[in-house]
Amino acid sequence: MTDRVNQILQKFDAHIVESVTQTLDKVKALTDLTQDEKLDLAKNLCELFFHAHHTSSTLMPKLAVTTGKRIAKFGPEMIPFLIDEVMEADGESAVYFGKALSRFGVRGLDYTLARLNDCKDQDHDLINLMQVLSYFKIPETANAIPTILAQAQHPNHQVTAMALYTVGRLTQKLQTSAFSESTRSAMFDHIFRFLSGVQGLVRKNAARTLGKMLRRGLLSHENEKKLYNAFLSITGRDEHHNWDRAFIVRREAEDFLPYFHAETAPVKLYTQSFKILSKRLLCTNTYHFTIDAPLIARKIEAGQFLIVRPHIFSERIPLSVCGWNREKGSVSIIVSAVGKTTTEINTMGVGDAFQDVVGPLGERSIIPADAGTCVVIGGGYGTGAIIPTAKDLKALGCKVIGIVGARSEDSLIMIPELKQACDEVVVTTNDGSQGIKGFVTDALREVLHRENVTYVLAVGPVPMMKAVSEMTRPANITTYVSLNAIMVDGTGMCGACRVTVGGETKFACFHGPDFDGHKVDFENLMKRQKMFVKEEKLAFERMK
Amino acid sequence: MMPQVTTLSNKERTKLPHQEMPLRPAESRVLNFDEVPVGYSNDQALSESLRCLHCKKPACVGACPVGIDIPGFIRLIEEGDPAAAAKKIRETNFLPAVCGRVCPQDKQCQAVCVVGRKNIPVGIGNLERYAADYERTNGTLEIPVIQEPTGKRVAIIGSGPAGLSAAYELTIRGHEVVVFEASHRAGGVLVYGIPRFRLPLRIIDEDVRFLTRLGVRFVYNMVIGKVLTLEDLLHQEGFDAVMIGTGAGLPRMLNVPGSNANGVYSANEYLTRIYLMEANHFPKYSTPVSSGKKVAVIGAGNTAMDVLRTAKRLGAEPTCYYRRSHDEAPARSEELKHAEQEAIGWRWLSNPVEFIVDENNFVKQIKCERMELSEPDETGRRKPLPTGNFFVEDCDTVVMSLGCSVNPIIPSTDAEIRTNKWGVITVDSNTCQTSKKGVFAAGDAITGGSTVILAMGQAKKAAAAMHEYLVGKPVSASFEVLNGVPATVS
Repeated sequence: MTDRVNQILQKFDAHIVESVTQTLDKVKALTDLTQDEKLDLAKNLCELFFHAHHTSSTLMPKLAVTTGKRIAKFGPEMIPFLIDEVMEADGESAVYFGKALSRFGVRGLDYTLARLNDCKDQDHDLINLMQVLSYFKIPETANAIPTILAQAQHPNHQVTAMALYTVGRLTQKLQTSAFSESTRSAMFDHIFRFLSGVQGLVRKNAARTLGKMLRRGLLSHENEKKLYNAFLSITGRDEHHNWDRAFIVRREAEDFLPYFHAETAPVKLYTQSFKILSKRLLCTNTYHFTIDAPLIARKIEAGQFLIVRPHIFSERIPLSVCGWNREKGSVSIIVSAVGKTTTEINTMGVGDAFQDVVGPLGERSIIPADAGTCVVIGGGYGTGAIIPTAKDLKALGCKVIGIVGARSEDSLIMIPELKQACDEVVVTTNDGSQGIKGFVTDALREVLHRENVTYVLAVGPVPMMKAVSEMTRPANITTYVSLNAIMVDGTGMCGACRVTVGGETKFACFHGPDFDGHKVDFENLMKRQKMFVKEEKLAFERMK
Repeated sequence: MMPQVTTLSNKERTKLPHQEMPLRPAESRVLNFDEVPVGYSNDQALSESLRCLHCKKPACVGACPVGIDIPGFIRLIEEGDPAAAAKKIRETNFLPAVCGRVCPQDKQCQAVCVVGRKNIPVGIGNLERYAADYERTNGTLEIPVIQEPTGKRVAIIGSGPAGLSAAYELTIRGHEVVVFEASHRAGGVLVYGIPRFRLPLRIIDEDVRFLTRLGVRFVYNMVIGKVLTLEDLLHQEGFDAVMIGTGAGLPRMLNVPGSNANGVYSANEYLTRIYLMEANHFPKYSTPVSSGKKVAVIGAGNTAMDVLRTAKRLGAEPTCYYRRSHDEAPARSEELKHAEQEAIGWRWLSNPVEFIVDENNFVKQIKCERMELSEPDETGRRKPLPTGNFFVEDCDTVVMSLGCSVNPIIPSTDAEIRTNKWGVITVDSNTCQTSKKGVFAAGDAITGGSTVILAMGQAKKAAAAMHEYLVGKPVSASFEVLNGVPATVS
């Protein structure tokens, strides 16, 4: 070892950033290096490749890349040395060797490929060499793809996975012109078979590589179609059945689905993300959510409701809708935490998604044929549910009076929105902290006295709806109430939501939810709502 | 040593003993929801297959709603190739593992089996199940040949037996199929209505998964009629044809005092809570089912048996109330037998007249009238007649299993779909086309309540007609009710 090299290397410590930086600077300054000096330097500097990924320093990986650059400057005679070192390397270190070797261009590529053919039985070497190959950026690398894919037939699935990964990287890095038409289709055919491989890792890498080919536009129309169908099948467009048992594979396929061209994927997938777009605190334990559900938003009408299942362990609960935006494809709900599931919903935040949202269910609110004076009454979180109907009534030309009841000022919700939808809003609170002190019926009595009311809609707690119906009964004013019975499926299949209306058994989910308030058997409804009180309490306590 | 296949004469075959399906013992099986019959062993299947006489004109094929080549597949089992046997069944029946388990063979193929005239009939259902299970556990299932894409698109509403079969039939004919399901799980009644101890969930999931591999798309949480109407599907979403397979999902309730009391469920609700929403794992799964100690089940059909056995597994003492006697019970004989093994109470000739409730509207007693049977009328059925004697028994849960009507959501949202007075969708009996052009229907939606296999048979017929329609051949459209009277447990 010559003195000048010795001097530099004495101070070199691959673990210390400053030392590495200084050494690299000194190496850069050296000129007229002999063959031996180059080798000595390279041998010692390579040490860095093995350490770079162990350190917590973010600079070290960058320095390792610079080191590779320096070694590459020494000339092509470094190639055999580097390749030998690769064989000793672990996966992370091989990355830096790859980056160094890729700087030698065609000669580095040829040498690596030659070695690849030599070490057929050395799984570890094969994997590292393919790792190296994935860092070449010259167009000639595309010609190596058949050689790499030939390695994919290897019995060791790790080798197969690496080969697919390498091709994927090359697909992403190389210019599209590097891939001839025949290479593209051969690549596709070859890789596509691995989508049904036994090992999840192989399937994942195959899916990823094919996805990258798709993204770079390397697929013919038929192949794109083929891949589209395969990806749909992998994802199942549904997470309930674990279509591909491995989550990693499903996620890959899911990620690439948006890249299919419109002519390949003409079918709308009818997927709604059910993601929470916004969340707003209305009062204690009560939130306003906006959910992404474009198909539901397109069809929903005032009075209809949704069935919501926040996650796979939870129950399906009916929730009324307080608004929607057909253009943006969103629906709004108000959730007040009263039990386990509602509490769970209220812990969800923006970006979280509901497992299932079904709707629009039930019939739309029945509104009068002719314009007149209408009263919409909301109690508690029912205040939200009357807004859509109030808007409909106003559009019809009615004079709409809103009456809102709450315990106190703090629990009044959605008042500004309701004021927009109504001509007049009367607020009542039980403690008199805002508006009239008393119940909604006190306000209703006053309104009935001064106005010629033809239509009343009440949404809220059952005793409130009952009291309203009793008040309008003498004058025979058309009164509708929205019944919030216990439901399971919401399509009439189970009959859990049986209510007695006019002596007949009706299903709240599809005959309703709005019924003639003068005919409803409120007593039975109130008792039926208490069917699972014991279980609800138990579930709620277990949750805490 | 098994006797050589070819040398057995028919006489020798009839003398071979019938192989009983091995069952898990009643005492231990009621402790969990694992499957009750364990399935034939290889030797048992072989022995049973040797009992088939391979009649020249096999009556069993004619009695099968989908016309499975029964002697053909039994011959393949006999030759020691169950994989080929399963393939043979799959030519006509897409859900062999399901049908082998839930078909009423004793009223169909096995009822007409020639061996059964003097002896116990060949265990066709058990052999079908054996072949299907062999195929599944050994992974011999092959992807069928799929015809060239026709460019036509079909929407199937409902992913129950009818929907799944039609999806399969249409996909292999080269059409693009999208299945819309209202709940969050594919399988329809197979998932929410048939207990796991009769049909494990993994079997349905495998079949659904297989369909997605063929390219069928499943869309969940879609109540067609509400989120998209038939008109939307045909004109806005670009589907060329639609098949309605929404089934009979509208439970019938007794109209007696106390029907709306707390603790009174429809069989649909009870089973849905447990099997779709996993209420048996409450409170891990949040859906509750307040199944008490004494469960009264009204009715004696297959669903009633399912409810009784489910309640037993939840730790209750179930009792069956039926207004006719044991012999008139509409349940499949095997189901009835299995239920009887499981220590369930029976109150035959008992007609519930009232559910007595406590002050909180929870049911506490059931009041029944004792019945007696009349002489057989012209249809041969013996009518139950009231005797005027009443009795009262304690119970804290009542489950009504009285059959279902057709779900009205689709007919109520499309004026062109005609129904009869029971709400059953009327279709052409040859093509299953409804009164709306391009819309077909199959399964319980057109029968008002029947079996899995019958729904599949209709779905096959509908799929064939839809194919003709899609490729442009004229499809006859004379609308008559197909088996229009809804089946009731009366």
